[in-house]
Amino acid sequence: MATVGAAPTLFLRKATGLVKGWSRFDAFIYSFMSVNLITLGLYYALSVLAFVPGGQVLPAIILSGVFVTFLVITYAGLISAMPRAGGDYVWQSRVLGGGIAFILAVTGWWFILWHWAPIYANILTVEVLQPLFAIFKWTGAVTWLGTHNGIFITSVGTIVLAGVLVSLGMEGYAKVQRVCFYLGMAALAVMLLILLFGSKSGFQSAFNSESANLFGAKGDVYAQTLRTAATANGVPAMKLSLTPFFGASLLLVPFMAFWILYPNWGATLYGEVRGSGDFRRVMNGMMWGLWVTIAFAIIIVLLMAKTFGWQFFNAANANYWFPLYGGTAAPTIPIFPYPPLLASFYVHSAVFQAIIVLAFGAWFLGWAGTLFLSSTRVVFAAAFDRILPEWAASVSERRHVPFGALALMLFPSIIVSALYAYKSGFITYTLDATLVIAVTFFGTAIAAVVLPWRKKSLYENSTIARYKVGGVPLITISGAITAGFLGWMLFKWFTDSLYAINNKASLRYLVVLYGLAIAVYAIAYVVRRRQGIDLKAIHQEIPVE
Amino acid sequence: MPKIFYVTDIHGSEICWRKFLNAGPHYGADIVIVGGDITGKAMVPIVERGGRWDTTMFDQHVTLETEDEVREIEKKIQNRGYYPIRVSEEEYRHMQEDEDAVDKRFKEVMIEGTERWIAMADDKLAGKVTRVIVCPANDDMFEIDPILKSGHVVEMGGSDPMELEGFEMVSYGWTNPTPWNTFRELPEEELGRRLDKILEKVTDPSRTIFNIHAPPFGSGLDEAPALDENMNIKAGGRALRPVGSTSVRAAIERIQPVLSLHGHIHESKGALRMGSTLVLNPGSSYEEGILQAALITLDAKKHTVKSYQLVNG
Repeated sequence: MATVGAAPTLFLRKATGLVKGWSRFDAFIYSFMSVNLITLGLYYALSVLAFVPGGQVLPAIILSGVFVTFLVITYAGLISAMPRAGGDYVWQSRVLGGGIAFILAVTGWWFILWHWAPIYANILTVEVLQPLFAIFKWTGAVTWLGTHNGIFITSVGTIVLAGVLVSLGMEGYAKVQRVCFYLGMAALAVMLLILLFGSKSGFQSAFNSESANLFGAKGDVYAQTLRTAATANGVPAMKLSLTPFFGASLLLVPFMAFWILYPNWGATLYGEVRGSGDFRRVMNGMMWGLWVTIAFAIIIVLLMAKTFGWQFFNAANANYWFPLYGGTAAPTIPIFPYPPLLASFYVHSAVFQAIIVLAFGAWFLGWAGTLFLSSTRVVFAAAFDRILPEWAASVSERRHVPFGALALMLFPSIIVSALYAYKSGFITYTLDATLVIAVTFFGTAIAAVVLPWRKKSLYENSTIARYKVGGVPLITISGAITAGFLGWMLFKWFTDSLYAINNKASLRYLVVLYGLAIAVYAIAYVVRRRQGIDLKAIHQEIPVE
Repeated sequence: MPKIFYVTDIHGSEICWRKFLNAGPHYGADIVIVGGDITGKAMVPIVERGGRWDTTMFDQHVTLETEDEVREIEKKIQNRGYYPIRVSEEEYRHMQEDEDAVDKRFKEVMIEGTERWIAMADDKLAGKVTRVIVCPANDDMFEIDPILKSGHVVEMGGSDPMELEGFEMVSYGWTNPTPWNTFRELPEEELGRRLDKILEKVTDPSRTIFNIHAPPFGSGLDEAPALDENMNIKAGGRALRPVGSTSVRAAIERIQPVLSLHGHIHESKGALRMGSTLVLNPGSSYEEGILQAALITLDAKKHTVKSYQLVNG
């Protein structure tokens, strides 16, 4: 076969469902808000660089982006081949089998999201509530947020907020996200302008002044921050360069995964998009979301280094995080050194600072719904497959709120939040949050690798069949690279104490999570069999000939 | 206990039809039903140009050198639910300029395709299953009805109650209006009146099965992406609208059949209870060659649905 000359065009008749297309920009916004540089990136990725002083953040960001690019290609290929709601669950079900799909999908898209609830809440606390209360000198409120009750109440508030956003429905939430996108970008532009035109000496002065004003700190707090980091927390001189591009910089990649791994977060939703068979369109939405975020991350890093001082930025973050991992030195300011707040110190106005923090809060609001939105779709898919009871897919008559799926998210999230707030040591289990999701993505990557052989007709009947490299299906190549990337990160998480989850307690907890998923499937299998329903039949392919 | 295998909206997909023909024995179903919209939506021209053939597959221009290559791509086109048509350059240009010529050709390929499918079913399903019921729906032109009626094994589902191993099934393929002004659409008021008349024949709701193409409005089985005035999908497909029929909903709520089977909205796969009625839409992934279906086991003695399952064959 060759490809020359003018292409004949299809003849279409008037028939239900023939539509023209959909906006890439909408897909971009969802992806961009999922790979959330502000809420996730500034929180536990760019702030923990001092854990790996020999590593370099810029290569780590670029390498992560390159690897996640293959994840995007893999997911876009699967969306194109099997564009129906359920995402990872549906793909793994069809390619790997229903049991393994259920176990991997519900742990990664349902159970572990319970643990993300207090993480979301903590992000709300350190990036919005504590900065705001600090600006208005409500010291008691700042302190209260760090108490057991404060942590629990904030978690419940976040869970309710995420529930409300899901209740708005996809369309309502899309509107909220669009507003948040513009507001968040405006706030980011202001911050970048401050960092671009502000001087380092000017920032030192502003930081010292506002630390005294807001927190009652005395003297040269900027210098004290550097000293505390160096002497009490052992932070060496931090460089910002492109070398080593690999080596120690690779150790930062699993930290970068905390924010950069999710441009595919909308994958469970694409089933509702007619035309998602268009591989390139789906891929472009996610790819732009990924790489625009990476571009902003690099710009922010460079500007923070210029204006805050790279050593100071890392020192302030180390002083915040090290005490949580056993360090004894008190940080020089009592709250998370949130970069937008630090930048706002340039303007000595509480109102301006509050506006900046609130406007940056749009990044949180436009992202908070992701906590439950995709999860509800997986719950629906499992209920339609009769693994979960019918009520799990129930939707309210009036407002179409998926109350069954929401209940399965909300109540366990509240219990996990209570454990997080009141049971010492439980907080460490939330460090498994990215790992469990990566395991799910790993399963999907494997499904992608074998798709052309395991589901030959499905593959050959899809648009992705024409994308090959050296005769090998593109989805197999991208899936293999993604699986290799995720597999390497899983190996590091399980073996390297740097990530604080290679311990028995963490392993035991993972066993509980996966054991719960296995138990649910096993119970469903037995119960349904008694009802004359064979769960194995759900994805059995009917012979064609 | 009668076991039903129900699919809908296969829209000309050859692979889905072939799977449907094997589904009864595969799942142990006695009764196999296609709920409507069996014909395809597009014709893919394969244009003869200087001894070679040009066509478009997956938005890619392909030139074919041999008869085997043409047959291979015709098979792929058919599997996606489109009709491959071999045309000369002159015919192709004429069809581009003349809508009537396109309509005429559409009729020809839809009739030919339906005749071929019914012949395949008669040949393959005789003695394999108890009943084979195929219904026309809004996207199917009226000319296919006589073909469905002419089948030896295949029966055309219609508005007269059809006895079904202790149950009675009423089929209706007309829908409320769509933006595409398809063959069998009626304003809600008229649709409601016609449904009321049809349902006068229902004698025992507990033994009644609805096979109505349009899903009930606001049931969640009828959510389709919202469209703007240019037929583009709004909000990246995240804006969904209930587009089902209020008349169908009213009929279900009033009659309370034991089972109500629907299709029409491919994305809205699901199951729910409306009162004592189990309402199902198995959805459709015909373009991917996946036969989404509902397997329902009925209890003829108790007049209940014993179990159901949505499968992806």
